[in-house]
Amino acid sequence: MSGPSTLVLARAAVPTARAVRWAPGASLAILLLAVAALSRSTQRPADIVLAIAAASLAAAVVSGLHDPAAALLSAVPVSAMQRRMLRLALLGVPALTVWWLLEALTTATLSGPGPLLALTACGVAVALWAPPRRAVLLGASTPVALFVAHQAVPAGTVSDVVARWQSDPWWVLAGAILICVAGRHR
Amino acid sequence: MSATTVSRPDATPPVPAHRVERALVGAEARRMLRNPVPWVCLALTTWMTWTVQPEPGEWPGSSYEGMMPAVAPLLLGISIAVAVPFHRARHDVSPAAPVPEVTRTRARLVAALPFVVVAAAHAAFVAWRERDLGGLWLGMEPGRTTEALHSGAELSQYVALALVAIALGAAVGRRTSRLVAVVPVLFVLWFVASTYWLFGAPGVTPFSVIQVQPVHLAVGPATADPLSFPSDWLLVGAPHTDGGWERQWVSESLAWWHDVWLLGLAALLLGAAWPRRGRGTLLAAGAVLAVAGVTAQVWVIP
Repeated sequence: MSGPSTLVLARAAVPTARAVRWAPGASLAILLLAVAALSRSTQRPADIVLAIAAASLAAAVVSGLHDPAAALLSAVPVSAMQRRMLRLALLGVPALTVWWLLEALTTATLSGPGPLLALTACGVAVALWAPPRRAVLLGASTPVALFVAHQAVPAGTVSDVVARWQSDPWWVLAGAILICVAGRHR
Repeated sequence: MSATTVSRPDATPPVPAHRVERALVGAEARRMLRNPVPWVCLALTTWMTWTVQPEPGEWPGSSYEGMMPAVAPLLLGISIAVAVPFHRARHDVSPAAPVPEVTRTRARLVAALPFVVVAAAHAAFVAWRERDLGGLWLGMEPGRTTEALHSGAELSQYVALALVAIALGAAVGRRTSRLVAVVPVLFVLWFVASTYWLFGAPGVTPFSVIQVQPVHLAVGPATADPLSFPSDWLLVGAPHTDGGWERQWVSESLAWWHDVWLLGLAALLLGAAWPRRGRGTLLAAGAVLAVAGVTAQVWVIP
């Protein structure tokens, strides 16, 4: 990253954070923490709660890529990908914090931020390659679609492939990052 | 010759309000029904319902409990389809539209009613499927049945849930600043609601959204003789419980009162989507129905 663009990004962090709509994500986090607390108090299995949390937090992070001022900012000497990375960093830190709190609250076997990161990367990859008009909407829907597909598909080969974001999240993350790198100029 | 012109009197009478509203309903219904999301979600729900069937060795009541939560994708699809037109009402041009906001809101809601018909058709499909399977399994010996069917009261929940899905979509669509943020919010709400075992405790069941019966009631320690319980009780014991005997209790009254709670919830959510005029009435009616529904459920559960 060149010097001037780093400076621009650093200066853009605060206004970008102000431009991000935090209310939906905050509501989501409160709801997930309440559900995790409920599952802890009733001593019920919480694996599915963490899976729902991974998909919803990933969708929320990807939905934060929506930038109403994208056309205006295209003139600044910072690429669209760098601005996306700034937004992902701003949204990713609170998402990981919520994930850590959820893990601490529940006793699920699904551990580590792998599923959350894998689903987020898949969503970002779709958002990069999808038609621009609906790119972020499709990207944000991808983690949700992967979760629902895993629930709907009966156990078997297809189900195993769809559930890779849970069973082998780091490989899925690596693959999605490669797709993102390939689409960095989009 | 005079340069003054006289405008021709407008010969066309004003269009009656009900015709304007009917045209709006038609346009909104076409848009909503063309949205592929609810139909993809309906296909998923149908598939998930189809794959629910009793299997030897299952948790007692697993298939019976699995029927209701399978509706979650359909409800998510309905909410998303309804959220889109309600989000459109946030655009700056909306206040300048020649039709009052109340009329437009009402037209959108009426246009969403075909989804209630879809939910009713799904309820009929579930009823048929259960009969096709010869009934579902509940309980374990000596309190067991292999011919359990969801009652009309339980199946009516699908219709009430469709109303809640419409109201939720309207509220979230109208009050969320960016449409893309609607997806994670609606997803979490419906899939958490479908995680039925979180709401299985008698104290929590009245507040559940997708209510899954039976309710489990502790009736005796592990040492109790199950034959001493009334013969019409469906029972479950070790190794499926913490050790004691539990009764799997199914109630039509509970299901009807749960519908009242859902109607109250739908009215409260609609209140969040409704224009200022008339909002108070909806919120008051919703609060009364919700409180009555929850109170009656608490009272019904033994």
